[in-house]
Amino acid sequence: MAIVEIEKVSKRYGDVVAVQNFTLTTKDGEFVVLVGPSGCGKTTTMRMVAGLESITEGSIRIAGRDVAGMIPRERDVAMVFQNYALFPHMNVFGNMSFGLRLRKLPKQQIENQVRKAANILGIENLLHRKPKELSGGQRQRVALGRAIVRDPQVFLMDEPLSNIDAKLRVEMRGEITKLQRRLGVTTFYVTHDQVEAMSMGDRVVVMLEGQIQQVGTPRDLYRKPMNRYVAGFIGSPAMNFVRAHVGEDGIVSAGEDFRLFMRGPVMEAVRKRGLSEVWTGVRPEHLKIRRQGDAASKNVIRGTVEVVEPQGSTTLIQLSVGNDLRMHALLEAHLEPAVGERLDLWVGDDAVYVFDPATDQSIQ
Amino acid sequence: MIAIVASIWVLIPFFWAIINSFKTFEATFSAAAIIPFLNFQPTLDSWKEVLGDPQSLNSLLSSAIVAVGTTLLVLLLGTPAAYSLARYEFPWQSKDIALWFLSQRVMPPVVVLVPFYIIMVQLRLIDTWSGLILLYSTFNLAFCVVIMRDIFRDVSKDVEEAARIEGANLWQIFWMIALPLSLDGLIVTAIIVFAFSWNEALFASALTSQHASTLPAFILASRSTRGVNFNTAAVNTIIAIAPPVIMSFFVQRYLARGLSFGAVKG
Repeated sequence: MAIVEIEKVSKRYGDVVAVQNFTLTTKDGEFVVLVGPSGCGKTTTMRMVAGLESITEGSIRIAGRDVAGMIPRERDVAMVFQNYALFPHMNVFGNMSFGLRLRKLPKQQIENQVRKAANILGIENLLHRKPKELSGGQRQRVALGRAIVRDPQVFLMDEPLSNIDAKLRVEMRGEITKLQRRLGVTTFYVTHDQVEAMSMGDRVVVMLEGQIQQVGTPRDLYRKPMNRYVAGFIGSPAMNFVRAHVGEDGIVSAGEDFRLFMRGPVMEAVRKRGLSEVWTGVRPEHLKIRRQGDAASKNVIRGTVEVVEPQGSTTLIQLSVGNDLRMHALLEAHLEPAVGERLDLWVGDDAVYVFDPATDQSIQ
Repeated sequence: MIAIVASIWVLIPFFWAIINSFKTFEATFSAAAIIPFLNFQPTLDSWKEVLGDPQSLNSLLSSAIVAVGTTLLVLLLGTPAAYSLARYEFPWQSKDIALWFLSQRVMPPVVVLVPFYIIMVQLRLIDTWSGLILLYSTFNLAFCVVIMRDIFRDVSKDVEEAARIEGANLWQIFWMIALPLSLDGLIVTAIIVFAFSWNEALFASALTSQHASTLPAFILASRSTRGVNFNTAAVNTIIAIAPPVIMSFFVQRYLARGLSFGAVKG
């Protein structure tokens, strides 16, 4: 258990900047998820914490100790790799006890610690098997077991769930979260899957091109994205973006069929910046079908249904709005409009996001 | 069909050796003596002669010591070198180093026969086991490094990094992870090096006379003034062929997997 302080850390390979000016301080026992597309620097950041990668600039402290120049062993961290990285020539016991044996602990203590960790993960009966005799889910557990058995200061997990099938992934997601809460070990978790990030993290760090875009709780990221990138990345299906003209009285519009009203403070901010055009954003799940006599908002989005994708509990439709706009809407399952049908949709005033087209920053 | 022809082509010399080893010296010159008991009376005379000859037994011992010694020395020096070439970048390009190593193999060995002879004389290593071991090691080290480098490259980097995170230092990673995972390749390399040293005749003939004379050198030397004693040469040949063949039988599964040099890593 430890607080990890990452301060102004950068990593450059020659001219290529992998991570730039990364600053983050965890709480003790916090579950921090680093999320972003591949090549955004999330894995590099984690590897710098692990000591597998040197730091070009900045400092990392684990439990108050500056770890720059320390080899992984001295940092007391444990890592779970994407492809498990189990030692193929050792059985499960050998894999889990590897780190303890290197530290020359007494045999009995090693035995006890491995049994305890195996017990937590429910793999006591696999201790004598070789990795190739295990299923994907079991290998995953062994990899986790190898990490927890040493009782390290920090867990590092590099896309640990991306190699197992979808159903098991949901199960393991819950298990890892439960395990982390139970052990209370500060954890960095890297993923490119925003659903994983949202469902597991105490805090989520969204990265792009080596830079932090936003740090916040999953709820914050969803409700108050700082910029267009975060807004589009968090949430599934992704937010609809429409480039719209700013008109009088806080109306933004893109043709006849797309007209939204900005809230007062947003309108003020837009006016102050002197913007004539903005990016507007609407989440598919916030779009509703307007019914007769609805006292709903004056926001108007009208379109023709192009594609209908029933998802079970919901129905995803693709609309063409005006001449060249494509938007997605997530409707309740019982609403299954026909292809070609005209839909009249609305969205609540507080669910309209506005972004500065020059900087892509959110205007709130 | 081609396989049958090829097998016959390969097996005829073995057949010749086995038949002749049971003939008398005179019978080896009779063209019609092919089938034992029918064409000629088989005898164990030449086997007795060879196995009773101290010089012959001495060369068998020499061969064993030189081949085993070379294999051990080559693996001892070559594997760590191969590992560091596989895993680390050097200020000068690793690629070039590998090429230098390989150049050793490309050169026709006879080119360096005389220089080596002179060196060995100066080092007083003529007709010694250690002289031959040193010599064969220089030839085989390059081979071992190049092959093992490729095999080490196939060891998953993640697995080694996992070991690093668990607290292993470089030597421990090499010893506890990389080497056990490359065992197939290591065994194949060992056999090839062993077979080379066991079979080498040119340098052995030139650099040894009595004490350290290996089997191939001894066989070459069995040409007497009266011509070749084909029957005893045949016995010696069989003795010389046996160890590598028997060894390959034992480690066949490694050979089959290892010779593809990690292309299909299990």
